[in-house]
Amino acid sequence: MERLTPRVRVVWLVLALFRAVVLAGLLVGAAVALSETGLWADPPEALVPGAAALALAIGLVRLAVAWRRYAVWRFETRADSLYIERGVFTRTKTVAPYVRVQHVDSRRSPLERATGLATVVVYTAGSRSADVAIPGLTPDRAERLREELRALAIESEGEDAV
Amino acid sequence: MNRLHPLSGAATALHRGVAGGSIPFFLVSMLDGVFDAVEVGWVFFLAPVGFVVGVAYGAAYYYRFGYELAADTFDIRSGVLSRRSREIPLRRIQNVDISQGIVQRLLGVAVVRIETAGGGETEAELAFVADDEATRLQREIRRLTAEQHAEAPDARSPETDASSAADRADSTGADPDPRPTLLFDLEGRELLLLSLSSVSLSGATLLPLVFVVAGDAVVDLLVSLAEPLGGPADLDDASAPQYGLFAVVSILYGALAAYLLGAAYTFATYYDFRLGSTGDDLVYERGLLQRYSGSIPVDKIQTFSIAENPIQRAIEYAGLRIETAGHGPDGSAGSQSAVPLARRRRVEGFLERATGLETPSFTRPPTLARRRYVARYSLLAAAVVAAAFGVSRVWTIPYWYASALAFAGAPIAAHLRWRNLGYAVADDHLLVRAGFWRRRTHAIPYYRVQTVSTRRSIFQRRLGLGSVVVDTASSRTFARGTPTIHDLEVTDARAIHEETRARLEAARRSRGAEGRELSVTFS
Repeated sequence: MERLTPRVRVVWLVLALFRAVVLAGLLVGAAVALSETGLWADPPEALVPGAAALALAIGLVRLAVAWRRYAVWRFETRADSLYIERGVFTRTKTVAPYVRVQHVDSRRSPLERATGLATVVVYTAGSRSADVAIPGLTPDRAERLREELRALAIESEGEDAV
Repeated sequence: MNRLHPLSGAATALHRGVAGGSIPFFLVSMLDGVFDAVEVGWVFFLAPVGFVVGVAYGAAYYYRFGYELAADTFDIRSGVLSRRSREIPLRRIQNVDISQGIVQRLLGVAVVRIETAGGGETEAELAFVADDEATRLQREIRRLTAEQHAEAPDARSPETDASSAADRADSTGADPDPRPTLLFDLEGRELLLLSLSSVSLSGATLLPLVFVVAGDAVVDLLVSLAEPLGGPADLDDASAPQYGLFAVVSILYGALAAYLLGAAYTFATYYDFRLGSTGDDLVYERGLLQRYSGSIPVDKIQTFSIAENPIQRAIEYAGLRIETAGHGPDGSAGSQSAVPLARRRRVEGFLERATGLETPSFTRPPTLARRRYVARYSLLAAAVVAAAFGVSRVWTIPYWYASALAFAGAPIAAHLRWRNLGYAVADDHLLVRAGFWRRRTHAIPYYRVQTVSTRRSIFQRRLGLGSVVVDTASSRTFARGTPTIHDLEVTDARAIHEETRARLEAARRSRGAEGRELSVTFS
């Protein structure tokens, strides 16, 4: 079983932080707007601090999940299929047979480029194709994995699935 | 390159013309309020110009749109300024649908839709062609695809080669399109049962329209209907209980009207439904006002599913649907009715003849799963009570705590959900059943499986349960949620996961040798 590059935690933490800040802005902003504009005639005193506390709590959970995700993520290229294990709360184990691979992408978001990482996305004809993406690879490994998957997919020459 | 029906040229031109004429109208009247330089009078000059430009564009679109059925592709060239030329390999075509509304039937034109897998929409739409041209296209595409099948993929073993040569001789020698063999014909009794038993919301979408058109008359009617039951004689002058009664009675009548409209809609949709087979294709026809006809290549069928609601279960009737990776008419993504409604035993017989699948006995998840659902529905009940409490703070509701009765419903709902879950691991198919209101039993051939996943939420992990998600390429499942076997013992979940994967491999290997496994010999 192969694990991701530990650096992927940085990517996930930054994303989680960003989302937490956006959510906190919305929550606290809404609370302030409610109490300042007089839309709510007599808001309880704890409204704004409460919203801030809620936003903080959600943010902390998000960060914890982002940190923990790394420990759960595993994948393996088996003889006939790609095997993936992931999920902090809901643990998912996916098998994607090579015959079903339609095409393989490797891609790098700006954040991934900054941290020197890449994601490999495997497309099947299934309706949940986005499920099969392997993040947190070094560009080199991503390239090799893509080639490996491509070769395996060709080797197992599928009947057309659809 | 063929052109569309001349009428469609006129229709497009008119349509674009009206659009072109109305844009300056709106723009000018909007900008008139903002800028001083703009004057309303411009409309009289700009709108006709817009109309002429629109008509010219529509006409140009018609003249620049061409389609052609070549030996192994279907080609379309379209676009006035930016040209788009598409070649759709015939092998990739999932199904070909023809639809005809009332006006279109009177004018003798039809809309042809050609579906392929992938993409979010219909691959090619020909609006409109003459109706005999539509049937010709459908038939020719079917014939050419069948020919390709006979030639191309059977180079594996000598026997199939020989048989395919015989096929080819057949298909060239005989009439290219013999009349389809009738497989299923929806009888009047079945159509009536279908209309009455399926609660369709499609009809209810008409209700707001009725209100807009005849709001006052509807309100008057509702008042007069509620009055003998103790409702108010006049809406402006009534007591609170009278208003309450009026509301309740109106909602009941509204629900009745929605139900009847839905029944009428279903009736019109499935009127004169016929399913047949010709060559390697299933063909169907249906519709009272809007006629639909479609053809589905048998080897493009992803899954079969049996659908039944509680009423249909009580009278032992069920429907059978075919799921493909294409997109169906009226938004039913890739799902066509093969048997809208028939006796359950007959439907199972159909499925058995089509797939060689004998109806197996289903296994239910462990009772531990039921406990989970009790907890889940209790949470829902708690939310209901909380909402009732919240509302009772603002308005005075008598007996708001009666909402606690919702808790009594939780175990019942949990039991019903659990009772209708089930799965069976058959030789060539995995069967997954779920749902109380609309119970679906999917028969998934192993060789159609795309990916298999086991999912375990934190609650499931605590109880030692897991769910298996089996993904296929049928686009129907995308909207409906992928077939999932819920809440199995984790060892069973793992076993099924492995089994499905192994059988996919095995089925794929043997499929290469044996050729297609589905047969169209339904009856």
